[in-house]
Amino acid sequence: MKAVSHDLRKLAEKLVQYGKKHGADEMEVTLYEGREFNVDVRLGRVENLVEADSRYCVFRLFKDKKVASASSSDLSLPTLQDLVRQALQRARLTHPDEFAGLPAPARFKVTEDSLKLYDPEVAAMKPQEKIKMALTTERIALQDRRITNSFGASFVTNELRTILLNSSGFCGEYLQTYCSLSLGLQAGQDDRLVEDYWFSSKRHLRDLASPEEVARTAVERTVRQLNPRKIKTQDVPVIFEPTMTSWLLAFLFSCVSGTAVYQQTTFLAGRLGEKIGNDLVTVVDDGLLPGRLGSRPFDSEGVPTQRTVVIEKGLLKNYLCNTYASRKLNLPATGNGDGRGVVPNNFYLEPGAVTADEIIKSTRKGFLLTRVIGHGLNPVTGDISRGACGLWIEDGRPVFPVAEVTIAGNLGQVLQNIELVGNDIRFESPVCGPTIRVGEMTVAGK
Amino acid sequence: MATRKRAAKTGPRDFQLRPADLKGILSLALARGGDFADIFLEYRTSLSILMEEDIIKESSESVSLGLGLRVICKDRTGYAYTNELSEEKLRLVALTASAIASARSSRKLPLRFRNLKLDKDVARARLVATSRPLQEKIELVERAYRSALNYAPAIKKVQVAYGESLQHIKILNSEGLFVEDKRPMVKLVVMALAEKNGRHESGFCGGGGRVGLEYFNRKLRPETIGQEAASEACILLEAADPPAGEMPVVLSPGHSGVLIHEAVGHLLEADFIRKKTSVLWNKLGKRVGSEQLNIYDDPTRPGFRGSYNIDDEGNLPQKTLLVEKGVVRGFLQDLLSARLMKKETTGHGRRQDFSCWPLPRMANTYIDRGEYDPAEIIRSVRKGFYVSRLSGGQVEDSGQFTFSVTLGYLIEDGRLGRPVRQATLIGTNLDILQKVEMVGSDLEFGWQTGTCSKEGQDVPVADGCPTLKITGMTVGGLR
Repeated sequence: MKAVSHDLRKLAEKLVQYGKKHGADEMEVTLYEGREFNVDVRLGRVENLVEADSRYCVFRLFKDKKVASASSSDLSLPTLQDLVRQALQRARLTHPDEFAGLPAPARFKVTEDSLKLYDPEVAAMKPQEKIKMALTTERIALQDRRITNSFGASFVTNELRTILLNSSGFCGEYLQTYCSLSLGLQAGQDDRLVEDYWFSSKRHLRDLASPEEVARTAVERTVRQLNPRKIKTQDVPVIFEPTMTSWLLAFLFSCVSGTAVYQQTTFLAGRLGEKIGNDLVTVVDDGLLPGRLGSRPFDSEGVPTQRTVVIEKGLLKNYLCNTYASRKLNLPATGNGDGRGVVPNNFYLEPGAVTADEIIKSTRKGFLLTRVIGHGLNPVTGDISRGACGLWIEDGRPVFPVAEVTIAGNLGQVLQNIELVGNDIRFESPVCGPTIRVGEMTVAGK
Repeated sequence: MATRKRAAKTGPRDFQLRPADLKGILSLALARGGDFADIFLEYRTSLSILMEEDIIKESSESVSLGLGLRVICKDRTGYAYTNELSEEKLRLVALTASAIASARSSRKLPLRFRNLKLDKDVARARLVATSRPLQEKIELVERAYRSALNYAPAIKKVQVAYGESLQHIKILNSEGLFVEDKRPMVKLVVMALAEKNGRHESGFCGGGGRVGLEYFNRKLRPETIGQEAASEACILLEAADPPAGEMPVVLSPGHSGVLIHEAVGHLLEADFIRKKTSVLWNKLGKRVGSEQLNIYDDPTRPGFRGSYNIDDEGNLPQKTLLVEKGVVRGFLQDLLSARLMKKETTGHGRRQDFSCWPLPRMANTYIDRGEYDPAEIIRSVRKGFYVSRLSGGQVEDSGQFTFSVTLGYLIEDGRLGRPVRQATLIGTNLDILQKVEMVGSDLEFGWQTGTCSKEGQDVPVADGCPTLKITGMTVGGLR
C-alpha cells in the first residue's frame, strides 16, 4: 500500500475543482484507503477470518457561509459528482453561519516518518503468522486449570492511508498501521461465572505485548474475581487501574471539547483559567508523540497537530477546538478536528512517581476498581454512576473480589480529590492514564 | 433529472448485479470445499440534518455501496468485503473468504435460484423520506426545535437531529436463495438544555422507525418530541441526588424494556448459548424467573425500528417466544448457530452493513402484559425507586447487567415523590428475574430510537414492557 496514492490524490483534486466550478466557495475532500485483517480463534480453532480493502470519500463544502457535507464508499466519479451537486442544493436550504469555513492554510513540519506512524513489519506480516499469534495466546491461557471457557483471542491489523485536500491549497497525506492482540476468558462453575479480557494495541509490531504477557494478564484478571462478594453501601477511596483511568479521561475529554463548550453541554464551559482540580492533575493532548496511537501530522481539517496542555496542576488552561469551535469561542484551534466534532489525539494524565503497588499498599481501606459496565456519564453535570467490579482493599492488600456494585460521584469532585497518581502509564489507547487513587466516592451495594 | 432518478430509485449501476452475474463468484467461493456461502449486496443512502443555535447548521448525505461474501466451513467463517464491484475484485473477495476451507471437493450450486418474493412489508412508509423534498424535513426539525425552546424560560439551548436512510439489499446463497428488499428508516431526536441558578440539566426525546414522514403528523408530532425533551430537562432542575443501595424498584412501562434487552435478550442469543459462555446456555426448559414473565422477540411488528421482512441472511423472521411463565423456551438463532445446534433459524441473523458478518441479534424485544394495575404496583411500595427514563444498559455473559436511569422518582408510602437524577442500576439476571414481583397490564414500547451494539456492530432495535416491580435491586446513587 506504500506506493500508490497518486490516483486518489487526482480524484480529490478533480472533486474540489468540480465543486468550485459548480459554485462552492470552499471545499475540502478526504479520501481513506484501508486494508483490514482480523482473525478470531476460539478453543484452538480459527472461528472467523476477515480480510478486506476498502476506500471511502468524505467531503465538505461551503457556499455563502452555508455548509453541506457528504460521504461515500462508492468512489465512482459520477456518484461523487452527483453528491457534490446535491450538497450544493442542500446548502441553499441551510442557514448561513458566519463561523463556518475552512481554516487558514497552515504549514506542518512533521511527516508520517518522523511520527513513526507506519510499520512495514505490520504490513508484511503473513496471515499464518497472525493466526499463530492468536492461537498461541489462547493456548497459553487455557493451560491454566482455573479458566473454564474462552471468548477467544483475536489478532487485528490495519493499514490506513488518509489524503486531505482543500480549496485553500492544503494537500497532505499520511499512512499508518495498527495492530492488536486480545483475549477474553471466563472462569467459575455453574451459575457463578466471571469474565475479563486483556489486550495490547500498538502501531508497531515490536511494541506489542507478547502472547505470554497478554495471556498471563487475562488469566490473572479473570481468576482474581472468582467468588465475589457484594459489599455494604459506603463512601470509600477508589483506586482506578490504568484502563479505568482511561475511561475517566475519555469522559474528561468530552467535557473539555470545544464543541461541547460552545454548545454549553459541559459543566466545564466558561471555566478557563479556574482551578478545577488539585495540583496532581496535569492533562495533556499531544498529537506529536512518535509511534503513539493518537499521533497524526494534521487533523481532519488540515490543522497541524500540537502539544496542548489542557489542565496544568489543576488549572484549566485550554479547550480542545476544531476550527469552528475555535471561531465560536475565540480561542486557538488545537489540531483536534474530526469531521463536525473533535477527537483526542494522545490525551493523557501526566504520570506521577509512585508505583501502582505503592498506591495499593498505602490504602488502609478502599475499593480497587478493575472493570465497569454501563454508561452512566453525564457531561452536562459531570455526574458519574457506573456498574463496577473490583477488589476490596484492607491494610494495603486485596482481600476479596467485589461484584454487582456501582460507583458514583462527580467528575468535578474527582479532579479535586485525586490523592495519588501512579507511574504506570502504558499508551495502549489514545486516551490513557496511570493508576490513580481518588479520595472518596460512593460505592453502592447491599 | 435523470441522475436524480437513478440515485433515488434504483441505485448505481453496480447494484444491478443479478443472480446470474454472482453465481460464478459464489461457486468460486465454494471451490475449496466450504459448506455454505452467501453474498450480501448493499446500497444505502442516508441523510442527516442538524439544527442548533436557531439555525439549520448542516446537512450531510452518505452513500454506502458494497458486497460482503461469507464462506462457512463447519464452525469457521471466512469473510471478505469490497466496495469496488468489478469482476476482478469480486473474484478476489471469493478467494479470500474461501481461505478458511481446505478440502479438495467442491460443492455444486443449484442450477436455478429461487427468487423469494416478500408479500408483506413491515415498513409503514407512505411518504418514504428519501423521496421527499428536503424542505419538508427541515420543517419537522424546526417545529421540534421551536416547541422545545418555547417550552419554558429555563430552556437555554436546543439541538435537533434528523436522520433517514434507505437500505437496499440483495442476498444470494449457495442453497439457491435469492431475495431483495428495501428498508426505510427515519429518526427525529431532540436534546434540550435547561439552566437555573447556575445548574444545568439536559433532557432527550425522539421517535421514528421504519415509517414515512406522515408518522410525524399522525403518530408522534415533532412538537411532542420537543416538549418531552424540554420537560425532562426542567424536571431534572428540581431533582435530588439519587439514593444509593438496595431497594424495591418500579420500572415505568416502555423505556424499561432496556432491562429485558440486557437481562434476558442478549443471553439468549444462540452464539453465546452454543459457546456456553451465557449463564443461560443450559437453561432451556428451566425456570429462571417469576411466573409472570412472558418474553418475546418479534421482528415483524409493523413500523418498528427493529423490524425487517427478511433478516440479513435472507431468512423470514418469526415472532419468537423466549420465556414463558418464567421458563426459557427459545433462543435467537442465526443461520450458523442454528446449523451447529441442529435447530431451525428464527430469522435473527443481522449485520450492521456489508462489511460485517451476521450475528444472532434482537429485533423488538418485550415483556408481555401482566395482570396488575400499574397504580396498584406503585401503591404496593412503601419506600423505593421509580425508574422513569433510561438511556441504555449493558450486560456480560455471567448475567451481571446494568441500566442507566436519566430520570427517576423516589417512592414514598405508595406515591411518587421527588424526582431524582442520573443513577445506574445493577443486578444479576438470575437473581433479578426471580425478584419480579408484579407485572402490569400496561404494555408499552419505548421511543423508536434504540441502537444495540454487539462485537462492534450497531443495529436498530426496539424494546418494550409494562410497569414492573422488582423487590430489590442496587441503585447506584450517592450517599
